[in-house]
Amino acid sequence: MKTLTAMMIAMVLAAFAAAAAQPESAKSWTQPRTPDGQPDMQGIWTNYTNTPFEVADEGDRPDFYGGDVDGTGRGTGPSSFLNDTSDRKLTKARSLVVDPPSGRVPIMPWAEEVRNYRLTHIQDDWVNFTPWERCITRGVPGGIFPAGYGSGYQILQGPGYVAIVYEMIHEARMIPIDGRPHLGPSFRLWNGDSRGRWEGNTLVVDVTGYNDKGTVATNVATQRVRAIPQSEQLHAVERFTRVDENTINYEVTIEDPKVFTSPWKVAMPLHREPDYQLFEYACHEGNRAVPNTLSGGRARDRTARASN
Amino acid sequence: MQNWLKGAVIAVVSVAGTIAISQMLRSPVEGRAPDVNVLRTTDGKPDLNGIWQAVGSANWNLLDHQARSGPVLELGAVLAVPAGLSVVDGNEIPYQPWAAARQKENYENWLSRDPEVKCYLPGIPRATYMPYPFQILQTASNDILIAYEYASASRVIKMGKAEPPPVDTWMGQSAGHWEGDTLVVDVTGLNDQTWFDRAGNFHSEALHVVERFTPVSADVLDYQATIEDPKVFTRPWKIQMPLYRRQEKRAQLLEFKCVEFVEELMYGDLRKKTGNEPKFSAARLRWP
Repeated sequence: MKTLTAMMIAMVLAAFAAAAAQPESAKSWTQPRTPDGQPDMQGIWTNYTNTPFEVADEGDRPDFYGGDVDGTGRGTGPSSFLNDTSDRKLTKARSLVVDPPSGRVPIMPWAEEVRNYRLTHIQDDWVNFTPWERCITRGVPGGIFPAGYGSGYQILQGPGYVAIVYEMIHEARMIPIDGRPHLGPSFRLWNGDSRGRWEGNTLVVDVTGYNDKGTVATNVATQRVRAIPQSEQLHAVERFTRVDENTINYEVTIEDPKVFTSPWKVAMPLHREPDYQLFEYACHEGNRAVPNTLSGGRARDRTARASN
Repeated sequence: MQNWLKGAVIAVVSVAGTIAISQMLRSPVEGRAPDVNVLRTTDGKPDLNGIWQAVGSANWNLLDHQARSGPVLELGAVLAVPAGLSVVDGNEIPYQPWAAARQKENYENWLSRDPEVKCYLPGIPRATYMPYPFQILQTASNDILIAYEYASASRVIKMGKAEPPPVDTWMGQSAGHWEGDTLVVDVTGLNDQTWFDRAGNFHSEALHVVERFTPVSADVLDYQATIEDPKVFTRPWKIQMPLYRRQEKRAQLLEFKCVEFVEELMYGDLRKKTGNEPKFSAARLRWP
C-alpha cells in the first residue's frame, strides 16, 4: 500500500510538472469524450461554404441546373442573399467533390437525361420535383451538402446512439452504434438505413437500403448533381472526424453502380457555431411551390388548347 | 451453508444495499420513495433513453368515447374507431362557449380539417400519444432529444431557463428541468394550427403546455400535461397516461415520411393528365 501511495503521488506530481512545463500556445486540443466513452461531437454545427460542389466545366449549364429551364430567369433555387457567409471566416477549396481528382461526379448519361426531364417537367407532376421541394427529405447524404440557408445541424450523443438533427425539413437522424445489422431488403427508404461505428475518433456510418425515388442531391448549390436519381443500389459511407474544438471533417463515399461509373467522394468541414439557432423548418406545412407550379402548368395547358 | 458461500451472499447483499442506499441519497423526491427499478444515468438522474409509445386511443379522442364505424364504408371494421377511456382529468375539456361550438364543427368536418390528414407536424402534446413510437435521447451535455416516428417530427428540450421563443412554431419551444425524478418540460411558442386529437379538440396560439415525465418503473413513464389557453378554455386542464417502453430487441424508429402519402390527396387534381396516373375506385365516405 505504501508503495502504491508513493507511486500515485509521484504520478500526480509528474502530471502537474508536465502541465506547467507546456506553454499555452503548444497545448494541443484533446478529443473530449462522453461519459460512455464516445468521442464527443455534441453541439451545433453549420456547413456554410465558399467552395463549389464540383469543378466547373465549359459544357455546364448553371442556369438550367438551377431551374431556369427556358431562359426566363425563373428558377427554383433560393436567392443568393440567403447564403449568409458575410461574417463567417470560410476558406475556399477547388471543389467539395475530391474524388475522382477531376472534381467531377462520374454520372452516367441516362441519369443526366432523367435529371433533364425532371427539371423541364416540374409543371406536370410532383414526382418531377426533388424530394426536397416536395418537403420529404434532402436525403442522406444529400441533407448535409451545403444549401446556403437552413444550415444548422445539432449533434447529440447518448448511450448507443448518435443523433443528428437537420434544421432543413426537420430531420432527426438516429444512428445506432451498437453493432446491430442493417434492416434488410424489406425496407426501401428515402434516407436509407444508417448503422454507425467508431473507428478511433472517427464516426463511420454505413447507409444502405435506399428506395429508387430519391435523388442523390437536391439543392441548387449541388448544380449538375441536383435531381440525379438514386437507385436501390446506392451505398454511402460517411466519416465524421472532429479534428479540433471547432471543426468536424466530414467525408462521404458514394457508390451506385446503376447511376455512377465509379464511386466518388465529397469532403467538407462542419464548423462549430454554438450561437447559431436552429429554427423549425415546417416545409410541407407551407409548401406552395408544388401546388402553385402545377396549377401554373395546368393554366399553361388551357392557354395552349385555347390558341389551337 | 458452507462458509465461503455465506461470505459471498453477505458480500452481494451488502453491495446491493450500498447501491440502493446511494441511489436513495442521489434522488430526493418529494413525497415519493424512489423506485429502485428506475434506471439511472451516471449522474443519478432517471435514465429516459429508449423507444416509447402510448397505448390507447387518446389520439382518436381525449375524452371517453365508444367505438364507432370508420369514415370509409368499404373499409368495414378496418380503421373503425376503437373505444377509449378519457385521459382528461374529470373527463371534461373546459371550452368557452364559442370554442365548444367550434370543436363540434371540427368534429363534423374532421377529414377536411384535421392537420394529421395532411401529414402536418403534430404539435405538443399530440405527438406523444399518436399511434407511433418516439425515441428519447438523453445526453450528458443535458439537452434531451425526442424524435418522433410520425412525419420525422422532433424537438430538442433545452435544459434550464429559456429565452422567450422568437417565433411561434408547430412543435413549439421546449425548456426542461428536473423536479426530483420528474422531467418537467415547459412548452411555449406553439402556433394555432395543431389539434389535440381526431375529434376536433383544438387550441389557439396562446397555448401553454407543461409536461411531466416521471418514471414509475424501468419500462413505464407516467406522462402528465397541463394545458392552458385563456383564449379557448375557462381554466387549465390536465391529461395523464402511461407511456410504455417498446420491448422488441430490434426496436428502432422507422421511416414514416407521410408527405408522399398525401400528395395525391392534396395535389392530385393539379397533375397533368397523361392516362398513366393511378386509378382510384369511388370509396363511400360517411362522417360524422
